[in-house]
Amino acid sequence: MDKHLTIPDKQPGFSLPTFVVIMIIIAGLAVFPFVITNRFYISLINEMLIYGLLAMSLDVLLGFTGLLSFMHNAYLGISAYAVGLFLIHVSPASLWLACLTGVFFTALVALPVGWVQVRTGGLAFALLTLAFGMMFHTIVWKWYGLTGGDDGLMGMPNPAISIFGWEIGHSGDPTAMYLLTLVVVTICYILTRRIIRSPFGAVLEAIRENEERAAFVGINVRMYKLLGWMLACTLAGVAGALFILYKGYIGPTTMSAFAGAGVLMMVLLGGMGTLWGPLVGAAIFIYIQDYISTMSEHWEIYLGIVVVFLVLFMPTGFVGLGGYLKRLKRG
Amino acid sequence: MEAFLCTEDLCCQFGGVTATDCVCINFEESGLRSIIGPNGAGKTTFINIVTGRIPASSGRVIFQGKDITSKPTHELVKMGICRTFQITSVFRNLSVFENVRIAGQARRGGSLKVFSLKKNLREVTKQTWAILERLGLQDLAGEPAKNLAYGDQRVLEVAIAMAGGPSILFLDEPTAGMSPAETRRISELIQGLSEEISIVLIEHDMDLVMSISDAITVLHYGSIIAEGQPEEIRNNELVREAYLGKEG
Amino acid sequence: MGGSLSTAVDIILNSLVLGGVFLIVAIGLNIIYGLSRVMNLAHGSLYAVGAYAGYSIVAIGFNYFAAILLAPVYVAAVGLVLERTIIAPMRKRSMIYTLILTYGLMFFLDGMIKYIWGNEPRFIELPAMIQATVPILGTQYPVFRLVMLLITAAVMTGLMLFLNKTKIGIILRASSTIPEMVSCLGVNMKYVHMGAFVLGCVLAGIAGTIAGPLTTIDPLMGHEMLISSFVVIVIGGLGSLRGAVIAALLVGAVQTLAEFFITDLAMVIVYMLMALILAFMPRGLLGEGKFE
Repeated sequence: MDKHLTIPDKQPGFSLPTFVVIMIIIAGLAVFPFVITNRFYISLINEMLIYGLLAMSLDVLLGFTGLLSFMHNAYLGISAYAVGLFLIHVSPASLWLACLTGVFFTALVALPVGWVQVRTGGLAFALLTLAFGMMFHTIVWKWYGLTGGDDGLMGMPNPAISIFGWEIGHSGDPTAMYLLTLVVVTICYILTRRIIRSPFGAVLEAIRENEERAAFVGINVRMYKLLGWMLACTLAGVAGALFILYKGYIGPTTMSAFAGAGVLMMVLLGGMGTLWGPLVGAAIFIYIQDYISTMSEHWEIYLGIVVVFLVLFMPTGFVGLGGYLKRLKRG
Repeated sequence: MEAFLCTEDLCCQFGGVTATDCVCINFEESGLRSIIGPNGAGKTTFINIVTGRIPASSGRVIFQGKDITSKPTHELVKMGICRTFQITSVFRNLSVFENVRIAGQARRGGSLKVFSLKKNLREVTKQTWAILERLGLQDLAGEPAKNLAYGDQRVLEVAIAMAGGPSILFLDEPTAGMSPAETRRISELIQGLSEEISIVLIEHDMDLVMSISDAITVLHYGSIIAEGQPEEIRNNELVREAYLGKEG
Repeated sequence: MGGSLSTAVDIILNSLVLGGVFLIVAIGLNIIYGLSRVMNLAHGSLYAVGAYAGYSIVAIGFNYFAAILLAPVYVAAVGLVLERTIIAPMRKRSMIYTLILTYGLMFFLDGMIKYIWGNEPRFIELPAMIQATVPILGTQYPVFRLVMLLITAAVMTGLMLFLNKTKIGIILRASSTIPEMVSCLGVNMKYVHMGAFVLGCVLAGIAGTIAGPLTTIDPLMGHEMLISSFVVIVIGGLGSLRGAVIAALLVGAVQTLAEFFITDLAMVIVYMLMALILAFMPRGLLGEGKFE
């Protein structure tokens, strides 16, 4: 029946125009570090990609499952610390093993936290993420012996990045690190997109739309919330591994409530529930932050104002702006 | 004969109020039973308990021989106990098609297929179209549920409940706010369904109740004051008193 | 023997004082949520504004007691402006956006505090007459803390009288249970929402001013108070007055004890407590709350 064609259902693949655009973007990004060899810009895009991944993972939680987390950055931080500690104390050269350990450890922490958190929803869930996030921040801040406290993790080695024996550089080399980030983030995006558009993703969206109704069609809401949470935190863990390899350093500031608000803002800025919007949002945020970082004294005021502005006037983010303009044109 | 679904001395108390008072009802495997009563009689509370939305203070619910009194909602749905709500509860930003499809998917499984495609759940898709057509919603399939007219949303409620493949279906005031034409449509559907599965109807529309019910139970202040065929209920003194108040 | 008794008395009285501050803040939060369905994450910052306002009022030359009266007015004014401009338009939106909004507001207020008053901690000069200490059961207890207990009691009594005996108070209480009914009766809901928010701000301001001399006035105080007051609400149950009283005393005691024994992990324990109770007893210890 050709009725199937009339359903504006989200397809797991890419439509041809979208595919072409994405290929062009990825090709552009891949070629970028060889064209613009300025180390500063390479690092900037690298950072945008990493935070883009983090923001995307928060979108899985917020935009698709409907769960608000105030401190999703906690899971980037936990992973970063884990990877760093592994490289420093266990095996300075095993890059892949360290990353795996970091992500695995993050998932391990996220599981009991998530299990506790999904017993609630909405407001209570958000408060819990704040409580746990603050708890992790305090632990990392005060446990000087392990984490270096305020000083952060020192003495990070620069392991070589090698894939099946072919060495493309080491983590201190901006171009090599950039390419690694690009590949990892792209893979994560494609995978996540596929997952979101699968039957599993449909369940998450149903939960977001109407939690009670979801239960009353037979969905085990708690279990699926937990699975969505685990997906989001695991992706954040991947971002964390990339983060510490890229920066060579992690401190408690990255796990603060303020940084958490930043990630939230990236999702808002780009557009909730689109998966790629937050990537754009992260890029914009990092760019602005870099641009006015000299005014860091009053950064909080600007953050507050922008968040309030976004919520009041642009809740669908920049991505939604396109839709809004389209509607304006139609009159 | 073992009852299909029955409640034993089901009670529910909120603070000092007894909303449900030792209610015992047997539901058959098929047919249409209506539950009526003046406002506040505890009709919705009763089905809230049976469908797992609120806990009972005491008493049991037995379904096909099994005690289901404190089972979580999603398990009850999987067993075949579905319901609609008095206040329309649909997935507002999802399309009509998706609203029904997800209900079918949740019932039939396949929700953990993380890398598969939604359209590969062919059985679910077929069933979804069947239900949409049976309810006359097929032309609205692509619309987000929130854009639907009120009456259509109520029909969608029923469609979602049906997608769960219920063996017993609780309908909480499905025709509330519907036009006469829509009410006819729904009542035909319900009557047809009642030949296959058990339908429990909460309604205020007396004409509808009298014309399509096989049996009626009347609740007042949380307990049963009358039970029987439509004719008996129509002539029952207690029922009239409950609705109209004591006269003279 | 005398040593541990005096320590115990210190701890008990300190817990009461701290609990009193928590109670006032928590009730303010409860009132705003109960009436406007807005979980005001900026409440801690408003409390901080109260403390800083109190500091400035005293620094200009006013009496401390005058500050206790004036600072809440200042916070109320700030709150009124915020409510009319930012919060009122959000009323029809989903809870998630309101949460994010007040979260952003929190950062804005914290940033403004740093901008106006700087990063260094501030201290409130107390009037000489209450700077003395008084012997109680073996310990020399500061008079000003006793004064604070009195003020807390006065505030609570005043609030109870207001909510139970005045017409406005009764309207506010009715609005929290059946808002539709109240608006049907001809009450302009706009003023109800405004009133609730302003009342919450007044309470936050009072708490801030009396807490000023108690703890250090620094830019982080709002954040810490926010978390603590949430713990109180979670434990006591959202919307439950009795619960709030018990929970405030409990959290006051826990924090006082924790600071006495292990400073660093104090907050970690508080966070864990909140998480466990929120997850396993979402209606609070007394089961009267409304978190579902």
